[in-house]
Amino acid sequence: MKSSIITLLAAAALLSSCSQENEVSPAVTSGSADLTFDAVVNDADFTLSKDFTISGTTYNFSTLRYWVSNLKLVKANGEAYSVPNSYYLLEETKEISVQDGSFKYPARKREQIQLTNIPVGEYTSLEFSVGVDSVYNNNLSLQAGELSQLNGMTNISWMWHTSYIFSSLQGSVKQNSTTKTLKVETGLNTNFKSVKLTLPQALKVSSAAASAVISTNVAAITEGVDVMTTPSVGAAQGDVMSKVASNFSSKVFSVKSVN
Amino acid sequence: MLGFVLFLLVACQPQPREVTPSLAPFDRELPTHFPAFPSTPDNPMTQQGVELGRRLFYDKRLSGNNQISCASCHEPAQAFSDGVAFTTVGVSGRPLDRNSPALLNLAWMNNGLFWEGGATNLESQAFAPLTNLDEMAQDLVELETELKADPTYVQAFKRVFDGEIKVAYVARALAQFQRSLLSYQSAYDAYVEKKQALSSAQRRGLALFTTHCSRCHQGALFTDNLFHNNGLDDDFSDDSKEGVYQGRFRITRNPVDLGKYKTPTLRNIALTAPYMHDGRFPTLEAVLKHYATGVKASPSTDAVLTQNRSVRLSESEQQDIIHFLNSLTDYSFTTNPRLQNPF
Repeated sequence: MKSSIITLLAAAALLSSCSQENEVSPAVTSGSADLTFDAVVNDADFTLSKDFTISGTTYNFSTLRYWVSNLKLVKANGEAYSVPNSYYLLEETKEISVQDGSFKYPARKREQIQLTNIPVGEYTSLEFSVGVDSVYNNNLSLQAGELSQLNGMTNISWMWHTSYIFSSLQGSVKQNSTTKTLKVETGLNTNFKSVKLTLPQALKVSSAAASAVISTNVAAITEGVDVMTTPSVGAAQGDVMSKVASNFSSKVFSVKSVN
Repeated sequence: MLGFVLFLLVACQPQPREVTPSLAPFDRELPTHFPAFPSTPDNPMTQQGVELGRRLFYDKRLSGNNQISCASCHEPAQAFSDGVAFTTVGVSGRPLDRNSPALLNLAWMNNGLFWEGGATNLESQAFAPLTNLDEMAQDLVELETELKADPTYVQAFKRVFDGEIKVAYVARALAQFQRSLLSYQSAYDAYVEKKQALSSAQRRGLALFTTHCSRCHQGALFTDNLFHNNGLDDDFSDDSKEGVYQGRFRITRNPVDLGKYKTPTLRNIALTAPYMHDGRFPTLEAVLKHYATGVKASPSTDAVLTQNRSVRLSESEQQDIIHFLNSLTDYSFTTNPRLQNPF
């Protein structure tokens, strides 16, 4: 008897030690929602291998990849639902050479996240992060969601400094007759940034289908960066990387529509 | 009821617990002058996990060409180092930019791995040598496929991690084996435990060592786990190869870290020549001579080595210190059957 009381107390203690988000019980009344991250270049659709002129520089992209993680749906009263294991790799990429060309990661386009078992309700804002939080970023053998070593988002030039690649934008940039290879990557815990988006109308999760479309403006990723001078951004370009990471936090994403 | 509590525990964890009750925890009785063995809640050590890690450590299938294993550069007889400055045994045959470090007492090395400390733990570190083209050049997808073709591995991963083979588990098993590389039975340890005497030259060397060297090479582990510029160079302007010549600066981007490298343990140091991050010194005599007369001053050079000139040792004092360092050799470690090649 005594031991079962202790067990009960322990159970209570464990329950209360869970974070608030986890307390939201998987309600009987739950629904699903689709989130689409629609890549654009300002007003145009983002397309690989096509010239775009951004602030006088001609960009031609081969790869756009970024992690969206720690996704939360927030109600008007501030109550939040944290989507468990939410680590998603969004991408539109040509075939990628991994490990200096020894191996290939296939061409792939993925811009939709399907959320299931969301508690029914009206959600008025979205929160997520670009990159991987320090718990998982500091230990590449811990895995959740889509985190993996098998997708080329932990490449060898980063291996001596533990981090996932949070975002990668690659292609070429051209001004006049000068063309340079563009490779702008973010990573490292200091560049893990969160994004908050207020929805123009509530995302109503119920038995009916719900969806939201978020614009990912690729033109904003390198805003304020002189890509002709610094076409390659990695760990050695800390200040520029930090600039790109804050662009992801405040400039890249906007809500296009909610249905 | 207990099951319910366990369920709640699992529900609160970011990661499912992986130790199943049938696994035996890894346990070693360490001498009292050692710090407590650190726990690793993200990757709890078990005897079966360590054994799986040992098998992987010596398995040549871990490399892209199936010709080399971790042990190719970390040989037990040399305290898990390789005896050359820059090895060329990697898949590409190109020389590396770093001296292969000895692997021992890694369980306490929790302030960054690699010479400049960029890898946060053994679990993350493993992916670098596995994938680097000048090292094992392995395609991680291929590695999973190769290991899954071996029923011994399928069974062992199932037992240890309660799941199918994944490279994340490969990294965890390797980390468990590496944390089991414990060296604590040298002549010096027997001396500390009052079981055995040191020679008079070794005792003189110990006194000199305590005065001049133990600030960085401190405690039972003979390292402070920190990073120092010990005056090997005074020009760090070469920023090629992603800053490989700039020391810890390549990690922190802070100029105070230019030329800083991790303090290596001195246990088994007589077995791990050549010395320094780039293996530039072939002998311990050359190392002691550097500290006595060769330290180069730059803004990031450790002040202890430049201002106080505290390491200005005579040649006979240098010899006494080397006699002492020889007492840190632990053959029961280098010949421990539990750490040898299982194939």
